[in-house]
Amino acid sequence: MTAVDTAPVAGRSGEAILVARDVTMRFGGLTAVDSVNFQVNRGEIMGLIGPNGAGKTTFFNCLTGLYLPTSGEVRLDGAVIPPKPRKVVLAGMARTFQNIRLFGNMTALENVMVGRYCRTTAGPLTSILRGPKFRREEASTRERAQELLDFVGLGHTSDSLARNLPYGDQRRLEIARALATDPKLLLLDEPTAGMNPQETRQAEELIFRIRDSGLAIVVIEHDMRFIFNLCDRVLCLVQGKALIEGTPAEVQSDPRVIEAYIGTGPEDSAELEKELES
Amino acid sequence: MRRPTIFTPELQQRHGKTGWLLGVGGGVLLALSALLPWSYSFEALDGPSLLFYPSPLQVMGLVLGLLVAVALVLGRRAGRRGRVQVGWTAGARAAAVGALVFVVIVLVSIAAELGGLVNVDYGGWVALVGALLALVGTRLQPAGRSATLYRAAARSWLELVAIVVVMAAALFGIAYALDTDDPGTFVSFVVFVGALVAVLVGLGVLGWLSAVSQRHRKVLILSAFLVAYLFPFTQDGSDANMSIATQVIVFAATALGLNIVVGLAGLLDLGYIAFLGAGAFVAAILSRSAFSTLDFHPPFIVVVLISGLVSATLGLIIGSPTLRVSGDYLAIVTLAFGEIFRITMINLDGEAGPNLTRGSNGIPAIPELNLFGFDFGEPHVLLGIPLGRFSNYYFLLLVVIALIILVFSRLNSSRIGRGWVAIREDEKAAEAMGVNVFGLKLFAFAGGAFLAGVAGSVKAHIDVSVTPDQYNFLQSAFLLAAIVLGGMGTVLGVLVGAALLILLPEKLRFVSEFRLLLFGLTLVVMMRFRPEGLIASRRRQLEFHEDDEGLAERIDDQIQPSAMKGATA
Repeated sequence: MTAVDTAPVAGRSGEAILVARDVTMRFGGLTAVDSVNFQVNRGEIMGLIGPNGAGKTTFFNCLTGLYLPTSGEVRLDGAVIPPKPRKVVLAGMARTFQNIRLFGNMTALENVMVGRYCRTTAGPLTSILRGPKFRREEASTRERAQELLDFVGLGHTSDSLARNLPYGDQRRLEIARALATDPKLLLLDEPTAGMNPQETRQAEELIFRIRDSGLAIVVIEHDMRFIFNLCDRVLCLVQGKALIEGTPAEVQSDPRVIEAYIGTGPEDSAELEKELES
Repeated sequence: MRRPTIFTPELQQRHGKTGWLLGVGGGVLLALSALLPWSYSFEALDGPSLLFYPSPLQVMGLVLGLLVAVALVLGRRAGRRGRVQVGWTAGARAAAVGALVFVVIVLVSIAAELGGLVNVDYGGWVALVGALLALVGTRLQPAGRSATLYRAAARSWLELVAIVVVMAAALFGIAYALDTDDPGTFVSFVVFVGALVAVLVGLGVLGWLSAVSQRHRKVLILSAFLVAYLFPFTQDGSDANMSIATQVIVFAATALGLNIVVGLAGLLDLGYIAFLGAGAFVAAILSRSAFSTLDFHPPFIVVVLISGLVSATLGLIIGSPTLRVSGDYLAIVTLAFGEIFRITMINLDGEAGPNLTRGSNGIPAIPELNLFGFDFGEPHVLLGIPLGRFSNYYFLLLVVIALIILVFSRLNSSRIGRGWVAIREDEKAAEAMGVNVFGLKLFAFAGGAFLAGVAGSVKAHIDVSVTPDQYNFLQSAFLLAAIVLGGMGTVLGVLVGAALLILLPEKLRFVSEFRLLLFGLTLVVMMRFRPEGLIASRRRQLEFHEDDEGLAERIDDQIQPSAMKGATA
């Protein structure tokens, strides 16, 4: 079973799907993201790391259409992304949230079915008249949602309320809901936050499976071990600027990354703290 | 929500047996008291003053008393095995509380009608003592496990019989309630019905019934409408009750339209009555009234559509700029819109603007409807039973409300309904998952307005005249009250709410005098104890009790068996 309908095309793997060019985001005098260049290829897992306040989330919001970048552009599959989250989803980019934002009073299955909303078209009239189109679409929506629940390993909990699910399952349900929008690119905002090591390992395995089905994935994470295990390439943001981009090994051994996270000496760390506070 | 407990578990443990005896004894005593005179004069209520000849109210007391006793006796005998539990203790408790309230109301009514408690005969006091004993006795019983009768699957014919019995009881109850002219009897009857429902909830029968009704949806709906259609035949040609019934249905139809906006899409609309008014004015202007200001009189079917479309257009105009803001702002804007509508209608009198509505005089003398040669103003005789003017309109209104219910429930269980739930749950997340938040809100707003316009076009003909002052803010507030009282997002809840809000002032003088005070108080009490309304949808119940884990578990448990057949909760 694959998470997307289109099977991965070997020849196209490696081709850029998301390109961010010189993305800058200013809030008044504060430059949260400063001309960041970023590229994600098909079938690749890209990591985004950086200390707190480095502008990861702002950059993420620029990618998902929540913010319109002050300058620069983001292209998904060659087209500039529209500045509206809904249209970005339609264009093929889905996300999960750092603090889980499921529809708690809906069942797991219904949550995933909401994800199908943008790929279905039944309007008011056919919904009221219950024409053949409506019934066909409902059935296929339900089927696809169940398929995705099975894919993330939640097939047995489809009728449970989302708010009653254990924490790790909620994270996986959120991924299933995002997959339901038939994305080409999946953005995961701290997918393992608050997970125990075993759950983290399961999440890792799930993300690999999603990648194997042909999607590109961007992951924001604090857990270094997790991200260096997982990603093909890693981008490190510090103070809104791209510090380094490369393979996990390159990033891991780069002294500037270590410096950014831990600091080199008392003066530097004091400086960094001041920066962070401002 | 912590309430002080008088009957602590230790007390229950120690006096459980005594309590059981007390409860059964109290119940039997109450039942027997029905054979004794409750008042000295036959004038009081429905005449509970004869020895060994119980009046209907006394029979109700007897029923409640027997329910307490029987539930306690069966509760003792029933084993605690099996998957299916009947909530005998909870049922007995509900019956005891209901019986006490019922007896007190009856005694107070006797006192109020005849002037003083001296008019209560010994039977009344016996009944009171019985009810008190029953209450204390049932409270001394340890609370049993909650009922799980909804898990029980009976034979299909039994389930169908249950539906028929419920429907017949409803028809009989409504006819009886409408026939009582005496306020005390009416209130007592309402309390009795409430007590019965509470007992059914406690026993778990209501849970079973709702599971049954989910299995036999079509039968239920069909029989409900059959009962509604049979209702005029119980009135023997009298128009008095039918006039109230039409009022209830117009009100309920409008409230159902509003429930799409409030209950499903979660938008607070305080000016909804304006859409009803717009529909009514359009229908009045396009009617063949001598005071109509336009010389264009299409057939009624067309008028209905135009009314709906005009209202929907108004909804779009007011909705498209304001639905981007949320919550309180929307409430203020819609509140203002309601007033703007009324004042505009007053000003379209030929002086301040074009003469469309004849100002505050409105458009009177709207002719009776005439569809396919059927004159709605003429009484008809069917099966030897005369049906008056209001009965005719009542039949038409049933069609209208059926349509609105259809639209409501089908939208609710579709892709669009899921979108609405998602928006109510978390608007940002819904948008980020590709749900067209603004479009869905606007659709709810305009769709609700359309339905109100349709209802308004019929209302214009029933009311004969349309004036701007009929459509003031108070009416919007009452519509909203019906929804909050009855239950957001459910059809049955709104029907109950609308019926209560119209029936109580009609039947009780003191309620109609202190209408605002009483409804206000009721709403405050509801907000405190049951914010989701009398008959709430499961989802709404969950939304109002975000931190109640027990409730979530219970509902989770209830969804599972029904969901196996592919039904959505």
